[in-house]
Amino acid sequence: MLPADCSRRLVAELQGALDACAQRQLQLEQSLRVCRRLLQAWEPTGTWALKPPPGPETNEEDPLPACTPSPQDLKELEFLTQALEKAVRVRRGITKAGERDKAPSLKSRSIVTSPGTTASAPPQSRGQAGQAGGHASDTRPTKGLRQTAVPAKGHAERRLLSVGDRTRVGMGARAPRPGAGLRDQQMAPSAAPQAPEAFTLKEKGHLLRLPAAFRKAASQNSRPISPAGITMFLCGSWGTPCVHPSLWAQLGSTQTSDSMDATAAKTQFLQNMQTASGVPQPRLSAAEVEAEAGRLRKACSLLRLRMREELSAAPMDWMQEYRCLLTLEGLQAMVGQCLHRLQELRAAVVVQPPRPCPVEGPPRASPSCRGGAEPAWSPQLLVYSSTQELQTLAALQLRVAMLDQQIHLEKVLMAELLPLVSTAQPQGPPWLALCRAAHSLLCEGGARVLTILRDEPAV
Amino acid sequence: MGRRRQRVDPAAGARAGALPEAIAALSRSLPSGPSPEIFRRAKFDRPEATSALWQLLFRVLSPLPVGNALASLALEAQAHLVKSALCSQGYPRLALAQLPEDGSQGSRELLLALSWLLARGPVPEQMLAQARVPLGDEMTVCQCEALASPGPPAPHMEAEGPVDVRRVQWLMGKLQFRWRQLVSSQQEQCALLSKIHLYTRGCHSDQSLGHLSVTEAEMLRDPEGGQQASGAGVAQNLDPAYPKCLHSSCTPGMGPRTFWNDLWLVCEQPGLLPGDAAPLDPGGASACSLLSPLRALLQTLERENQRLEAVLAWRHTELVFWRWMDTVLGTCAPEVPAAASQPTFLPWVPERGGGELELVVRELQALEEELREAVERRRAAWEAKAGGCGRGPEWSAARRASREAVEKELGALQQCWKQDSGPARPHGPHRLVRREDGAAGERDLRAAEVIRTLRSQEACLEAVLRRLQGQCRQELARLVGALPGLIWIPPPGR
Repeated sequence: MLPADCSRRLVAELQGALDACAQRQLQLEQSLRVCRRLLQAWEPTGTWALKPPPGPETNEEDPLPACTPSPQDLKELEFLTQALEKAVRVRRGITKAGERDKAPSLKSRSIVTSPGTTASAPPQSRGQAGQAGGHASDTRPTKGLRQTAVPAKGHAERRLLSVGDRTRVGMGARAPRPGAGLRDQQMAPSAAPQAPEAFTLKEKGHLLRLPAAFRKAASQNSRPISPAGITMFLCGSWGTPCVHPSLWAQLGSTQTSDSMDATAAKTQFLQNMQTASGVPQPRLSAAEVEAEAGRLRKACSLLRLRMREELSAAPMDWMQEYRCLLTLEGLQAMVGQCLHRLQELRAAVVVQPPRPCPVEGPPRASPSCRGGAEPAWSPQLLVYSSTQELQTLAALQLRVAMLDQQIHLEKVLMAELLPLVSTAQPQGPPWLALCRAAHSLLCEGGARVLTILRDEPAV
Repeated sequence: MGRRRQRVDPAAGARAGALPEAIAALSRSLPSGPSPEIFRRAKFDRPEATSALWQLLFRVLSPLPVGNALASLALEAQAHLVKSALCSQGYPRLALAQLPEDGSQGSRELLLALSWLLARGPVPEQMLAQARVPLGDEMTVCQCEALASPGPPAPHMEAEGPVDVRRVQWLMGKLQFRWRQLVSSQQEQCALLSKIHLYTRGCHSDQSLGHLSVTEAEMLRDPEGGQQASGAGVAQNLDPAYPKCLHSSCTPGMGPRTFWNDLWLVCEQPGLLPGDAAPLDPGGASACSLLSPLRALLQTLERENQRLEAVLAWRHTELVFWRWMDTVLGTCAPEVPAAASQPTFLPWVPERGGGELELVVRELQALEEELREAVERRRAAWEAKAGGCGRGPEWSAARRASREAVEKELGALQQCWKQDSGPARPHGPHRLVRREDGAAGERDLRAAEVIRTLRSQEACLEAVLRRLQGQCRQELARLVGALPGLIWIPPPGR
């Protein structure tokens, strides 16, 4: 058995590591749930269909009344539906025959096309192709779809565009089948009564549109610079391009081009504060001390490396030997300087044991990372090109984190177990068991265990 | 948008209206900043301004966004933490440390402290960046947050009794298993994420992004929040914190940071929770807590935009503020440094590197020892050898040349650690974007580069771990090897 305080520390450390893992696992699982749900069929909810879009987002569309429309409207819609179905049939005849038509026949009406618009034909066939398992190719079907205004005012649009953007007809394809409440007397009961308009991201993902109000707010907020170097976004409803730096980008540019006066005024103020407090030299902050200590640690390893190089090099002639000697002496002087600096740091810092504070263990941005580069306020992108790449990236991140944790645990275990092994009286099996366990934990990461054989002299 | 006074004419520094404008912009840009009136009262050291300033300082200095849990700390506790934080940052004025913590006096000192912080760094921008609404799938590249591992053991751990070492072994094994599980879940999540990005290509209005993120897609799928899978934990359709919650659960680069995001959003949603009177919120908080995710996200975005505009306005008008602060400082009596008493600081956050200095000292001392021995040896050998050589002029010239060369080399070596940590490594969260061609702007990261960096980091860490394990092996061999009658059979090799 391990002594009590040692046990406590070890168990606490390991338990902390386990808890951190569990937290990450939980977050991952939440995320997985969301992603899986996104990739399944998207069910429409009954609540969308008839609710008029709330508040300011209605500026682009007349709020349609929730009550049933006139029989005239219904009839027109019916005609429209038939025309569209016919168009779809014609289209489908052109594209691959033998294409599987999925059970919900509504999928066939997926794309809105006004009969005369050829531009919309390609998206439609692509939409069809999407059903067969391919996904949309790179050309933008969106432009084609945008031209069509046909059942643009359909309720069904609001399924995805709760702000009712009239131009986004991608999902407005369902317009011939608006919310169930409207036409239930005429609509054939669909195979899936709950989800007459279900679809999957795979087929229709490229047709989704973000709501206009959201787009506006988001683009005002932050637009990453495109590779072409021009920031453009579509403001307004119909794509009047305007070049306008987002707010975060403006913030970034004012950072770098800070007014000279303001900077000078700030420095002056800080100096005044310093002199007014009577202490001419600013005190070091904890962060600075830590940064300095880190630098000196780096210095130590570099110096040691250099020393090894010098000591291992075999000098050819006296000149080289002399240089080697000078180098070593120089290194010695530098080490002395570093130690001196450390003593100064030590004197400048008086650390008391921390009080238990209400905020436990929140992560602190390390000073080297925060102070170093100029903070980039605009969002930066991380571009990947394939699933494998992303997976490799994520796996490596985890691996680095895990290694870091392992090194920390290794140091803790070394500090706790080695003294025990060395001080315990070597007597009997308990100590041997401890040795064995210590070896396994310290040298093999707990993965393998060695064997101890007792070698009794025979007879 | 605040561009009116771009270059403040120094002659007309105290233009009427410039100062209140600047202060108003400042208070708008800080989270629940106090009204400009408070600032004015503080100049005259009025007591009623004190508690508001304590609270503001607390929010500014807190290492993580302040949630309701933290904001509900008593004023004394907040004041105390503020003092220790300022102290550890090297705040020069002693008067602050001596202020009473009940908020009865000292508003001018607090105003000076606030200005000191504002002068040292871009405080409003940092706070905004902390509380930012992420719209994309974010991944944190730099390791600075990952390095802040869970520090001291959680306080709820009761003191267990002595424990068998086998329990330690078992815990270790459990930990390995959990990591493996984590890796496989992570791989799956990446695959799903990649699929979602692929399928939604072509629909984002911003061409450079090209596809939706999970947050955006989820918002489209369920804008009213009417449909939630039952196993989703918090009743998300009713929880106005849904958008941020959604985001943090979607980030593939998870770590302690997203956990604190969760904490933040659960505790604080100014303006989204009923009855919250955020003075900053001109649009008025929606009294209804049943906000759809879309509305909630929109509101948060709009509020962020407002704060951004306030920060920009502040940047344009701040010169006037600094002039004014100089006058405020002038009204204070100069301090006499307390004789020989170094202010002690109690770190707000228990720092992991408490013994860092000691470790470095020890390492350097060991190195010094080694060097001293080596130098003595070499010097003796050299004297013996070169003592017989002549002392001609070319000899001393050669010596001087060598000396200069060595000095230059060592100077270059010194530069290696003197300057701050090398090239600016991009840090902070990055938005994941999938592009077939992998094209990226100058500020963007490419996955291939990051992978390379991570691989080298991995190699470094593995080397360190192996070195430590080797040390242990040697040490254990030394401790047990002397015993007779035992055969130690190492485990089969990898």
